[in-house]
This record gives sequence, C-alpha cells and structure tokens, in this order.
Amino acid sequence: MKRLPGILVLLLAVTTPLSASTRVVTSIPDLADLVRQVGKDRVDVEYIVRGDQNPHYVEVKPSYMMKLKSADVFFIVGMDLELWSQQLIDGSRNTSLLVVDLSREIKKLEVPVGTVDAREGDVHRYGNPHYWLDPRNIRTMLEEIVVALARISPSDEEFFRANAAAYERLLDQKIQEWEEQIHPMAGQKILTFHRSWSYFAAWTGIVVADQIEPKPGIPPSPSHTADLISLVRRTGIKVIIVEPYYDTGAADQIARSTGATVVRLPVSVGGVPEAKDYISMISYNVRMLFTALHG
Amino acid sequence: MRHVPSSACLWILVLAGATTAAQTTLNPDISVIPRFLIVTDDGGRLAEGKREFSQPDFQLQELEFGVQAYLNPYARADVFLSLKGPDIEAASLGLEEAFVTVLRGLPLDLNLRAGKYRVEFGKLNMVHPHAQPFVTQPLVQERFIGTEGLNDLGISASLLLPTGDVYTRFTADLLRGRSVVEAAGIEDTSGAKPLYAVSGRLSSFFSLGDFSDLETGLSWYTGIHDPYHRDRFWYWNIDFKYKYRPSAYTSLVLQGEALLNVRQAMQDRDLSPFLDASGRPDPQDLTTSGLYVYADYQFVKIFSIGSRYDWSEDPYSVENRAWALSAFFGFYPVEETICVRLQYQYTQTSTPTQSRSVNSIGLQFLFSLGPHKAHPF
Repeated sequence: MKRLPGILVLLLAVTTPLSASTRVVTSIPDLADLVRQVGKDRVDVEYIVRGDQNPHYVEVKPSYMMKLKSADVFFIVGMDLELWSQQLIDGSRNTSLLVVDLSREIKKLEVPVGTVDAREGDVHRYGNPHYWLDPRNIRTMLEEIVVALARISPSDEEFFRANAAAYERLLDQKIQEWEEQIHPMAGQKILTFHRSWSYFAAWTGIVVADQIEPKPGIPPSPSHTADLISLVRRTGIKVIIVEPYYDTGAADQIARSTGATVVRLPVSVGGVPEAKDYISMISYNVRMLFTALHG
Repeated sequence: MRHVPSSACLWILVLAGATTAAQTTLNPDISVIPRFLIVTDDGGRLAEGKREFSQPDFQLQELEFGVQAYLNPYARADVFLSLKGPDIEAASLGLEEAFVTVLRGLPLDLNLRAGKYRVEFGKLNMVHPHAQPFVTQPLVQERFIGTEGLNDLGISASLLLPTGDVYTRFTADLLRGRSVVEAAGIEDTSGAKPLYAVSGRLSSFFSLGDFSDLETGLSWYTGIHDPYHRDRFWYWNIDFKYKYRPSAYTSLVLQGEALLNVRQAMQDRDLSPFLDASGRPDPQDLTTSGLYVYADYQFVKIFSIGSRYDWSEDPYSVENRAWALSAFFGFYPVEETICVRLQYQYTQTSTPTQSRSVNSIGLQFLFSLGPHKAHPF
C-alpha cells in the first residue's frame, strides 16, 4: 500500500472533524429539547422561535435562513403553525435540507369541517397544532425524530433508539406523577387566552370553558369580555391561563370582576425561566395549575 | 321531474368532494388588496396668493390582485395585477409584476428570477406600497425612480456569499431599462432602440441579539436616461434598516436610504440645451442626490406612530430642491387584514425663481383579502 505523504496526512487530520454531528434546527425549543434527548452529543441543535415568543407570528429574518442553510434536518410542529417556515426554507437555499413535520402521526384535535375561512379567525385548517402539550404525544414525536436522524446518520440509529427509549421511560414515570397530581382536578373549568390548551386539557381532564380570544388570533372585544365575566361568575371558574406572549389586560379585567386568578403558563420551553426543558415545563404547568385550582 | 338515483347522488357528492379537495390543494394563493385615500392639501391656490385646504378628494390609490404559488419543486411564480387610481372610473388594469423564481437546482445555490418585477434596488423599492407604514412615497423615490418604483422586465440572479454567520446576498439584474425613462415621462424618439439597464445590490443582515436586527445595503443601477442622445446615468444607493422588537406588541423601525445620481445631459430639466460660451452643445455631467429616513414605532399591538424626513434634489438640477417632514399614524384593528393610516406632510420645494410650501393630509384605508406572502425583514 502506498503511503500518503506526511503533509497530506496532517492536512486531513486538521480538516476532518473528529465527530461529524448532525446539524438540526427546530421551529420551537420544545422540539429542540426532544432532539437533544435523542441525539445527545451527536447532534448540534438550534431553534428558531424563543419560548416566550408567539410561534404563529415570526418575522422572516435572513439570520433564520442562515441557520437552515447549514442544517441537515429541520423539525417543525406542522399543521400550519409555522406558516413562515417555507419562506425560510426557500431563503436558506439548502437543497439537501430534510424537513420533518412531526404532526404526521399525531391524533389531531379540532380539525375544522366544512368551509374554513377568516370568519373563524386564524383557524388552522389541519386542526389544533398545540399537540406537544399532551405528553402522551411525545412518544410518537420521538419515533419521527429517531427515523429522521437515522436517515442522516444511519450508523447512529441504535444510539438514537436507545436514547429515545430511555427518555420515554423517564417520561412515562413523570406522566404518572403528573397525572396523580392533576387528575383530581379533572372536570374543573378554566378560561384560556388562546386555544393552545386543548391537548393539555384532553390529557388532564380539565375543561376549557372558553377563550378570551373570541376566535383564534382575534383580540377580545368589550362585549366578549363582558360575556366571559358572566360565564366565570355563573360557573365558578377560578383560573384564567394566559401564554407568556399575550397581553394580560383582558384577563386581568375578568379576574378583577370575578375574583379568578390569572396564571401565566408557558406553552414552550423557555417561556418562563423555570421551563428549562420539556419535562420541567410540564412539571411547572401542572404544579402552577394545581396550586391555582386548589387554592 | 326525473329522480336521480341515490347511488348516483352519492357518487356526485364523492366526486364533488374530491374536486373541491383537489382545488384547495392545488389552487394558488390569491390575494386582493385595495387601497383608498382621502386627501386634501393647501397648495391649490398658492399662485393666487391664497392658502386654503381643498375639498377632500376620495381616491382609489390602487387595487392589487396577487396570485402566488409554486410551479414545481424548483420554482415559484408571483403575479400581481394592479388597478391604479386616483380616478376610479378611469382606472385601468396593468401588470404590476409577473415573474418566476427558480429557487432550487442551480449551481452555487443561485436563485434566478425572470419576468417583470420590482428590482432589488434599495430597501423600500421591494416593498409593496400597502406594506409601507406611510401614505406618500419619499421625495427621492418620486423624483429619481418614479411613484411606481423601479419595476421592469428583466432577469435577475442572486447569490449568498460565504460570509460565515452573516447573511450576505449579492443580486445582479439585466433589465429592459425603460422604468426610469417612463417614470420621468420622457418620450422615446430614438426609434425604439433597446435601452437596457444593469442593476445590482449587495446587502448584509446582522442579528444584534434576540430583539434587534440591522440590514445594510449598497445598490447601483445604470441605464439610458435620454433615449435620443443615448446619455447614460448611474444611481448609487445606500440603505439601512434597524428593527428593535422586544415583544409581539412593540417594535421600533429606523430605516433610511441615500441616493447619488450621476448623469451626462445635453439639456436641463426644462429641455434648455447646455451650451458653451460660443453657443455650441456642451453636454454636462450632473451630480444630484436625495435621501429619506423614517422611524415607525408600534407602541401597542394595533397602533403605530412614525415620522419621516425627506430631502431631494432633481435628477437634472441641484437648484430644484425639496424637503418634507411628515408624521403618520397607523391603526391595525384585526391583525393586518384592515389598516387605517393618517399622514400629515409639510413639503417645501424651491427653484432658482420661486419657493413654495404645501401642507397635505391623507387618510388611507386598505384591507387585505386572502393570503399575501409576508415581506421578509
């Protein structure tokens, strides 16, 4: 066998990375956390939307395109949550980018029937996209993540599968703990600002009586606020949930008139400082909601 | 009356459903955005020595009809038809833009655009007027480019430059070259010889943290401004846009552009020929310029206020100057589907022989029907 010249060996050693990580971008930080749990140190993960930002409305910035330009995989929630994502994908000019919609195998809620138009506000034609707030859906999402990462790095598939399985076991344990805490509250009614909590409610058994937005994305009118005040008084609702990126003005007004409590709960990792990862976010939400409903 | 068998009804329903689903999937995004304006100013009777506001005039500024979709996995198409005002009875439908953009499949990840389109010259030129926060165009744009913007038939290629994490984009265009000539109302007596123009832009985007971003750009354009004498002109333009957006409900935009015009001319704006001391034609190099800068502050979700300063010379004269100061207010009651803008503008123009000032007030109303692709940063 011919020996490589010494200088070439040195060049190869300098230019070849020790471990070629799979470069991943996710639309929201929750997906980034799940990818980290699966890929560990074999993935480099970035996300587009901060946890305290509204994922529905994201400005199409060239800096986001740059993130996607060098990425191997782009994980999105799908179901039209990220209407801005296609412009970023096109702008990145990354022809080998694998775009993975994690909603494909999710059992979808609130899928509209009949004519879908702006009379219903910013309704999502494929259904409510906030499915990651039901931790039982995470197993399905992890499987999609494993398959996608293994497509980029087939030799790491077993590693990814083992990590996903370990995370699922941890999650199952946490789900049991959360359910023990929150299930006694099943049947209690709450108000929410946006229709972000349908999957969370389906899991916990808590009932979302109405939203402060009369329709998704439509600001509350005085008459709708007045209707909500009478609803809260009539049904004894104790808690109003507002996502970190929405104004609490209308919620505060309802709370002042009824004695209900406004609770800011994150829908994404990083939405509040305590929500450092997916598990701590759900733990925070369960704990805060339990306290508010119990008190 | 003949009865249709129930099984046939079922098939009709199934087929109708399938057809509807297919149309929903394959139909392009269609949008209609009309802009209306009520305007008044006090400049109508200045020649008589009187300063009084005119009767408010109701105008159609424009109705923009947009159709946008992917043609195939590699390319998308955008078509915008425009019904221009101000006279709604005399308005005629014109082609605002119709272009195809090849997004994938080219070497060096090039993007290629062909058709009729708003040229990447400066920052404001690429933004459709309904998405601009003010009612009137900056003076520098009106005087040097035309109220319709630099919009021409052509071919454009753009490339992302390898500048690390900084987004740097280079665009070059070969254009028919009639946009500036037509906007200036210059009659082409050259026997329809091709004019051609070449344009380019180099822009960089800097993320200054979670809440702030800055984009800077350098553009140039060269073409024929006098079709008869084949006199050439060059535009050089620098632009910046800074945006601070600490929350979904508040943002501050600072944006400005400065344009330098260099052109060789046989005659001045009033068609008086440039002559030397002995009375022979003496073509002159003219250098004039203009600029605008504005700030727009969204202080709650549905309201914004802003101000713009304009200063501009004339393409053919440094002595014909104008400046303007305007204040504008925007109201977006339900996202951006409905918008009301109010603008007051003070404009002063001066020539070697006279100076005049005009106050104008415009109230703009527009609504946005259907999905219109968001303008990027």
